[in-house]
Amino acid sequence: MKTFIYNFRYFIKESIDIFRLNLISNIFSLLSTGLIFFVLTLIIAGWNISSSVTEAIKGESEISVYFQEGLTESKIIDLTNSITNVRGVESVNLVNEDEAYGRMEKVLGDDAQVLSFFEDNPFDAFLEVGIELTEIESIVDQISQMAYVDLVRDNKEVLDRLSHMSDVLNLVSYLALTAVGITTLVIMSHIIRQGIYHHREQINTLELLGAPKYFIALPFYIEGISMTLIGGLLSLVLSHFVINEIYIQVSGPLPFIPMPNQGIVMQNLIIVILGLSLVLGFFGSAFGVSSSRYKE
Amino acid sequence: MIEAHDLELIYNDGTVAVKPFDITIGAGELVYITGASGSGKTSLLKLLIGSEYPTGGTLNILGEPIKKGNSKSIHKIRHKIGPIFQEFRLIKGKTSMDNVKLGMRFIGMTPSQIEEEARLVLIKVGLEDKLNIKVDNLSWGECQRVAIARAVARKPSLILADEPTGNLDRNNAIKMLELLGSFRTKETAVIMTTHATHLIEGHAHATYIHMDRGRVNIERQGKSY
Ligand SMILES: Nc1ncnc2c1ncn2[C@@H]1O[C@H](COP(=O)(O)OP(=O)(O)OP(=O)(O)O)[C@@H](O)[C@H]1O
Ligand SMILES: [Mg+2]
Repeated sequence: MKTFIYNFRYFIKESIDIFRLNLISNIFSLLSTGLIFFVLTLIIAGWNISSSVTEAIKGESEISVYFQEGLTESKIIDLTNSITNVRGVESVNLVNEDEAYGRMEKVLGDDAQVLSFFEDNPFDAFLEVGIELTEIESIVDQISQMAYVDLVRDNKEVLDRLSHMSDVLNLVSYLALTAVGITTLVIMSHIIRQGIYHHREQINTLELLGAPKYFIALPFYIEGISMTLIGGLLSLVLSHFVINEIYIQVSGPLPFIPMPNQGIVMQNLIIVILGLSLVLGFFGSAFGVSSSRYKE
Repeated sequence: MIEAHDLELIYNDGTVAVKPFDITIGAGELVYITGASGSGKTSLLKLLIGSEYPTGGTLNILGEPIKKGNSKSIHKIRHKIGPIFQEFRLIKGKTSMDNVKLGMRFIGMTPSQIEEEARLVLIKVGLEDKLNIKVDNLSWGECQRVAIARAVARKPSLILADEPTGNLDRNNAIKMLELLGSFRTKETAVIMTTHATHLIEGHAHATYIHMDRGRVNIERQGKSY
């Protein structure tokens, strides 16, 4: 064990030597690994954000129930009670005309002055019904058939589109992951093979001296794994800035989009990318080592 | 320590490098292998270090059978061999000290043993002021001494030297033969090939293997060590 620790300095020195032998080509490989990982981080971040946005919207899904005009207060209460009794309904909340007007004013923001063209308040009162999304169809069915109900408006279409989008992003993420995996493996194993080729004399000598396989291979593994790790770190630094910018862009003018916590998105990325670069570095080196021919 | 029976080596292209012969070499022996260029001296050493496998007969080194597919045994015996290659095979870009230490890192020596022994042996071969010089900047003779130090520092049971007198003038060749002879102990055998037959003749307590186009003649003088 003591000797292994003593030898570790040699292994590190060797792997730096191997890296330096092909300096320019290795630096370019390092940069391209970084960029490939960077593309992956963006896709993963996008997927992460979109699926959490979809989840958030699904979690707070609501339908609006419009009823006939001039309904008395006791009828409205009756209606509220019968809606509350429908299976899957979580909350019922009356939004009167003034509140409906106020909400629209907020949504329109600077453009709210268009509302002043109306003499009367153009908005109707309605019931805001919080529901379990899975029950949406039966709920809409049942409520539509109730007395005094004019119109049930749901946002199912929007939700469908959102979850379709996150399915697509899902697929893109997997494709990107596969592409990054294969590319990194190819680049790494190529680099390792080159390093072994350049060191073939030294390797042959070590074998004649009886050096075990691990002793000969370890510097190459260290080189491969550190290169992918550094590439991964590079991509994380880049994506940190980009994601930061996206959050600034989105959360300012589009405050109603429920973005997930930026720290958590970044943390997930760090775990995924560093784990991935470790694994890819290891297997890339392993392919490189096992496919090398250096015998005299 | 070495037992060969009907040992033979024919290369893939059909060249018969070593014709079948028998030999037993004990611990602490001094063995000279002589013969014209191309007679098979290096080929015989390659059999002993396991970089070529016997194509006929049997070969046992330090109790391990040497044959194709037995890479475990070959690793084992290589740890106990100190090889000095004809072309030295030093690692470029590394200092004398690092070259010597590199041969000692995986044979069960402790870090302090490695540091001390490497230094001592390099001093013994006269390179005390070249310890931290890269071998790329050493003279041919100095490189040869680094190669010897690397072999000896491993405290091997068997030192194999291929043509150590090759590029040396008479005086230096004599010194080299003396230096290598001095590494022979009760535990350590020394086997070397050489063209300098006139310098080794009549050496007591040595075994002579004379090779002639693959044929092996063995002659022993005196008793083994
Ligand atoms: N790998 C090989 N494949 C085929 N033939 C070989 C191989 N290595 C050596 N030979 C041949 O085997 C014969 C013995 O070669 P070897 O190198 O053992 O001679 P040697 O006695 O060491 O010569 P020298 O004194 O010049 O070093 C020669 O004819 C050589 O050409
Ligand atoms: Mg030779």
